[in-house]
Amino acid sequence: MSILEYNGSGVVAMCGKNCVAIASDMRYGVQQTTVATDMHKVYKMHDKVYIGMAGLATDMQTLVQRFRFRLKMYELREERKIKPNVFANLVSSMLYQKRFGPYFVEPVIAGLGDKNKPFICAMDLIGAPVYTDNFLVSGTSSEELYGVCEAMYRPNLEPDDLFETVSQCLQAAVDRDCLAGWGAEVYVICPDRVIHKTLKSRQD
Amino acid sequence: MASRYDTRTTIFSPEGRLYQVEYAMEAISQAGAAVGVKAKDGIVLAAEKRVMSKLLDIRKGTEKMYKIDDHVACAVAGITADANILINYARLAAQRYFLTYQEPIPIEQLMRQVCDLKQGYTQHGGLRPFGVSFLFAGHDDHFGFQLYQSDPSGNYGGWKATAIGANTQSAQSLLKQEYKIDDTDLDAALQLAVKVLSKTMDTTSPSPDKMEISTVTTDDDGNVVYHVYTKAELEEVLKKFESDQKDTSTSGDI
Repeated sequence: MSILEYNGSGVVAMCGKNCVAIASDMRYGVQQTTVATDMHKVYKMHDKVYIGMAGLATDMQTLVQRFRFRLKMYELREERKIKPNVFANLVSSMLYQKRFGPYFVEPVIAGLGDKNKPFICAMDLIGAPVYTDNFLVSGTSSEELYGVCEAMYRPNLEPDDLFETVSQCLQAAVDRDCLAGWGAEVYVICPDRVIHKTLKSRQD
Repeated sequence: MASRYDTRTTIFSPEGRLYQVEYAMEAISQAGAAVGVKAKDGIVLAAEKRVMSKLLDIRKGTEKMYKIDDHVACAVAGITADANILINYARLAAQRYFLTYQEPIPIEQLMRQVCDLKQGYTQHGGLRPFGVSFLFAGHDDHFGFQLYQSDPSGNYGGWKATAIGANTQSAQSLLKQEYKIDDTDLDAALQLAVKVLSKTMDTTSPSPDKMEISTVTTDDDGNVVYHVYTKAELEEVLKKFESDQKDTSTSGDI
């Protein structure tokens, strides 16, 4: 049993036209037992930066608190909000600091940068980042997610189409994974608003 | 007279005084004044800006007021470089508390941490004390709106209205006369703060370029809001102040 598979999760981020989407399942499980179906795995850092985390739930919760600490200090000193690529570097740095006793999470970051340019980034548990302009996945359902996203993704989707695509990809993938599912949550981040929807999905 | 006992911070004089601490307070009394006035619905902080030159290219929002956390702000009087260290420390202390308890730090806890640090510099290490006095203004769920003053000795006290920096004697006596306990709202507190600041600045015509004003209040949802007055808002406050002065002035000009 791998520690990264103890709780179970599926997280995906996709780039669209002047928007990004980030979505996750909502299962909180302890190995095969499902304990709750309302667990958030995607957290807002600020209006234009969101982070989703797959992996060990306790480390995810601790890291969110630590990110909020660092972001508060950043905003107080710099008198501005952090950009997503800068935040990605912060996350990478914090994870690598624990290189020989890591946090068991694999985060996915999504946001809008300078001039609202879409930005996504994913990392392994010791902070190695990967940047693309299409989609990134993480969690116990990552292999299923790779498959559906590769098949269904198209570049430059408008927010509503991006929402549909992300939702279909996530649900199809987590349905094939016994440790992820039990609800899904999608955020589509646009320059002027954030669309946040909870999806009706298979409850098994 | 004091010279034999004043070079080291960590010893008393025969009269029982800590000279380095007193000298630090002397440094502060030369600095620009800051005034804090507590109202029923918020706290006003007003400060005199001293750093003035056309050639300055400052990008920071304020010179003497700083946000420590969403629910606490402070005004500074004294050596700015010393103040920066303490402000950074206060910000970290507030976030450390929030990380542990997932609750905003109560204002008095924050005061105690900052002041314990200041006190350390009067007792061990052989380093000079910080040449800064603070006015901390904030709101928490335990005691509502609070205004605290702290000095280089590490002492702190809660106040309804107080002043630090230059001319605190005249500021305090004016506040004592004019402050209406339990009957001050934010607008009255603003006017009082401007009045006291003009007195300490020793000017009859305060201008928006020379002062900074901020308020700590709560909004309709119960969130604490820290707002620094823009130049336009400052001008409005000063206009009202000047017109009130004209109404109540009895001394005749020639």
